[in-house]
Amino acid sequence: MNLNQVNKKLDSRFHGAVRAKLSSGCIVLSGELPTWQETVEACQLAATKYSTTHVVNNILCKEVKDIPMRMPKIQDSALDGRTPDVLIIGGGISGVSIARELSKWKLDILLVEKEADLALQASGRNDGEVHPGIDLSKGSKKHYYIRKGNAMFDDICRELDVPFRRVGQYVCFNKEFAKPLVYLYCLYRKKHDGISDTKLISGTDLKQIEPNFAEEFKFAISNPSSGCVCPYGLTIAYAENAVQNGAEIALNTAVLDMEVENGEIKSVTTNRGIIRPKIVVNAAGVFAEDIAKLAKDRFFSIHPRRGTNSILDKKAGAYMHSIASVKDLTISKTHSKGGGILHTVHNNLLIGPDAVETYEKENTETHKESIETVFSKQKRTMPKLSERDIITYFTGVRAPTFEEDFIIENGRKTKNLIHCAGIQSPGLTTAPAVALDIEKMAVQMLRRIQIVEKNPDFSPIRHGVPVLKDMDDKQRAKMIQKNPDYGVIVCRCEEISKGEILDALRSPICVPTVDGIKKRIRPGMGRCQGGFCSPLVTQIIAEFLGVPLSEVKKSSEDSAITFGRTK
Amino acid sequence: MRELVCIVCPKGCTMHIEQENDGYKVSGNTCKRGAQFAISEMTEPKRTICTTVRTVFPQTPVLPVRVSAEIPKDKIFDVMHEINSVVLEKPVSRGDVILKNVLNLGADIIATSDLLRQIET
Amino acid sequence: MQNYDVLVIGGGPAGLAAAIAAHKNGAKTLLVEREARLGGILKQCIHDGFGLVRFQEKLSGPEYAERFIEEFRKQKIEAKTLTFVTRLEKTENGFSAVLVNRSGVETVTAAALILATGCRERTAKQVNIHGTRPAGVFTAGTAQHFTNLLGELPTKKCVILGSGDIGLIMARRLTLEGAQVLGVYEAKSTPSGLTRNIHQCLHDYDIPLYLSHTVTRVFGADRLTAVEITKVDEKMQPIAGTEQILECDALILSVGLIPENELAETLGVQLDPRTKGPVCNAQLMTSSDGVFSCGNALHVNDLVDYVSESGEIAGENAAKYVKTIRKEIPIKAGERLLYAVPQKLNLNSNNQQTILYFRSRDILDGCVFKIIIDGQEVFSKKYPFLRPPEMEKLTVDFSKYQLSENSEIQLDIEVKSHA
Repeated sequence: MNLNQVNKKLDSRFHGAVRAKLSSGCIVLSGELPTWQETVEACQLAATKYSTTHVVNNILCKEVKDIPMRMPKIQDSALDGRTPDVLIIGGGISGVSIARELSKWKLDILLVEKEADLALQASGRNDGEVHPGIDLSKGSKKHYYIRKGNAMFDDICRELDVPFRRVGQYVCFNKEFAKPLVYLYCLYRKKHDGISDTKLISGTDLKQIEPNFAEEFKFAISNPSSGCVCPYGLTIAYAENAVQNGAEIALNTAVLDMEVENGEIKSVTTNRGIIRPKIVVNAAGVFAEDIAKLAKDRFFSIHPRRGTNSILDKKAGAYMHSIASVKDLTISKTHSKGGGILHTVHNNLLIGPDAVETYEKENTETHKESIETVFSKQKRTMPKLSERDIITYFTGVRAPTFEEDFIIENGRKTKNLIHCAGIQSPGLTTAPAVALDIEKMAVQMLRRIQIVEKNPDFSPIRHGVPVLKDMDDKQRAKMIQKNPDYGVIVCRCEEISKGEILDALRSPICVPTVDGIKKRIRPGMGRCQGGFCSPLVTQIIAEFLGVPLSEVKKSSEDSAITFGRTK
Repeated sequence: MRELVCIVCPKGCTMHIEQENDGYKVSGNTCKRGAQFAISEMTEPKRTICTTVRTVFPQTPVLPVRVSAEIPKDKIFDVMHEINSVVLEKPVSRGDVILKNVLNLGADIIATSDLLRQIET
Repeated sequence: MQNYDVLVIGGGPAGLAAAIAAHKNGAKTLLVEREARLGGILKQCIHDGFGLVRFQEKLSGPEYAERFIEEFRKQKIEAKTLTFVTRLEKTENGFSAVLVNRSGVETVTAAALILATGCRERTAKQVNIHGTRPAGVFTAGTAQHFTNLLGELPTKKCVILGSGDIGLIMARRLTLEGAQVLGVYEAKSTPSGLTRNIHQCLHDYDIPLYLSHTVTRVFGADRLTAVEITKVDEKMQPIAGTEQILECDALILSVGLIPENELAETLGVQLDPRTKGPVCNAQLMTSSDGVFSCGNALHVNDLVDYVSESGEIAGENAAKYVKTIRKEIPIKAGERLLYAVPQKLNLNSNNQQTILYFRSRDILDGCVFKIIIDGQEVFSKKYPFLRPPEMEKLTVDFSKYQLSENSEIQLDIEVKSHA
């Protein structure tokens, strides 16, 4: 599509309100539009899927309110004067996996994350599916990384001590007539796109595998390589392994500004001091465009897209054991998938997510309508699903570009910068493979200015907090003998002991908050949602830190749980 | 005439009270205690309070207590103030007096648990 | 491996009463409690009003519990505290239970089991509250734990959703401790808690009660900053345009209790969708032979006195339990009843002193409770009023009636005049 065609399309739709022009190899859109929905539509009109010529959105949207980035409260100089070899911005799955792979080298690695914990945005707010790539075709970065990433999961999860299960994915169809067409589609994917494990199964076979699925399914695409993993669990595990191998992770640290001279980042200002890194990796998720802008290397735009998932009680977890979705044979307007049902590694069911365009990068509020939309769709796959089994729900915000592809490349104008941007689904699946490539890119970039040697002490093995409930009685007894606190159950729903909570508090990245502990070892994740255990966990944290209860936070600095003694 | 819900027992009878010469006529009650409550509500409403007192023991930072007899309703917060100024430094038993004749109201503040006995000793 | 006649799971009022009754009936009994102290939720229920039926005294929760704990100790019944049951299995002669505590992992066996596992509170997400996920959303029980056991103030200014008893009690409790309770909001058009609690907990402290209102959203990225209150229609659906925002620092939920029967379910115990507790016969034996249920795990009681009573029934029968063939007929609760317990009658048991617990579905004035056997009214009792929050109890001698395997027992409420 050339520029004239783009402008023609924009004119016919927006009557001259928006113009596109080519600038430094990007399609820059400017003009004025009343709503964000229209703004996204204009950019999507101008964008070519998977293209590396990106749309940059400079449209003034009247609806968009200027919402400042959520900032950590702390202000100090803890990092002032630091000169790391690599500064990674963003503590999501991308940033931490890159930190871990780079820790194989003798490098000073610093990762900054503005939140109080890792994986607090998209990486902790998705369904944890390890995708097979059935919906991706050659030519995109997503496709390039998906099979590699998927194949790495067994090893990486073993190394990092993270539960992972290849439970298989079923895309279900209820129209028999579509079968020949879908068969050809699968064959094409298999031969052309290398989705080697994909196959069609009959409705009868599907019924045997998942007896609670809808009766009317005639056949399904089966992708046995699909799996599930705990997305924040994997993020934290990667980060801990990076730290064990010498990388440093600074939480509550936000990038505020950058000094760029002659196409080179000279310094990065944070709320904890000015850092002078040799190279910078932009893994800032929904803020990747903002970081690129600070680095004077903005050649793409992010349009946040939120999605809400519901978590169902483990009792509902028994209804099905795989990942499933229903395929409508109508043209879907949404770019991301319309959601599905997933049996998690912890044996809950996850229902969702939906996909809603939003300009609010950090608004993770949930809405009743999202739950209703998702449930009405997913009940078609499994009529047994009931909103009554919901124990909680959460919203995440994806960070796609308008080309709906990843950006894994060196800075186009700024030399000492690597972008890992536009990461959305299947970004969790691709992360292990992407991290390996960015590792290479970073080492190559650094080798221009210094010698880079292997880290002789690197160990790929990380041990998580032991999970006592998964042990057999003998093994469990042995553990309790060593540490009697393993025998004191604090969270009854998830069967988490005091010993495990103390282990999490002593883990390589200690986040001594109720949510920090919850994310690491799950107290409060069960059906009572912390009703019984939250006072106990708060108490254990307070004792561990030697502070009054009112000093213990739910997550951020301002999220106190109690206001001090009653008397 | 005044309508009143009895709080003596969980039944929660709705009672009607009428002034009659120097006394009151109560109807709607299903027991004697209800009538007594109704008259007391008209003359001097009384309540019990249950709360906690602070202790010096870290495992039991507060101990439950209550008043040994009902106190005037309008003195509740004054009595709370008195209770909140106490800090228990020694273990006490259930029924032990923590504050004698609080504010001269003829009621004591008594411990309602053996918690300190069980844990701290 | 230790062998017992009766294993009681749960050391709250139901479990304590059950263990004492089992022991007194000659059973070698073990009680397992996951917390460090016996007493269950009563430990944090420091308000009074417990024991009126049983002791004709107004006791506080700890006082009531400690009376039973003392009796339990006097009887020298074995208890394992800070001990968690991880697994229950049926064996040839009864059950085996895997227990985890500071000493390790231990398996014990018992001929009969009593599940006295209590209930849990419904959470914010279970009543469709949306918005952010800040600190400051507590169930009433959690707020009570912080306030009464840890001596910590969970709020300075809050809204309470739900007029269940714990919510009402906490409204008063927090007010006494200096917090401001902006109001108690109830989605139903009638209160859920006992009438006396509306009066002594809310009216006495000028705390407003708003019926047909609910909380639809919470705000605040870190700590809760406000809630959105919306009026609801007769079907409890929010009415658009009636939203109002109330600034506060906490939302306290008292939106219902759910009997905890996850252990029961692992044994295949059949649950009653009305009570969410096991389907039991008059001996409080569940659908699984030798498994008994009592207290709030069986159905949510309004008074602890009935919790103890059901514990005693379960305890006595568990002690006497010998596997026999059951001949059970259903006790059907009519439409006007929210539920009735027990749900079955075993014709091979002695049913002379059958205790029936029931609640009406709606507020009813001037009504008659009836037992109808095979179309014949055999028993009736007049009630000036029936309210769903208040549970009713009756003792019925079913042995008087000619009951056969084909008999039908129907419970009904006839309304003479509408409220």
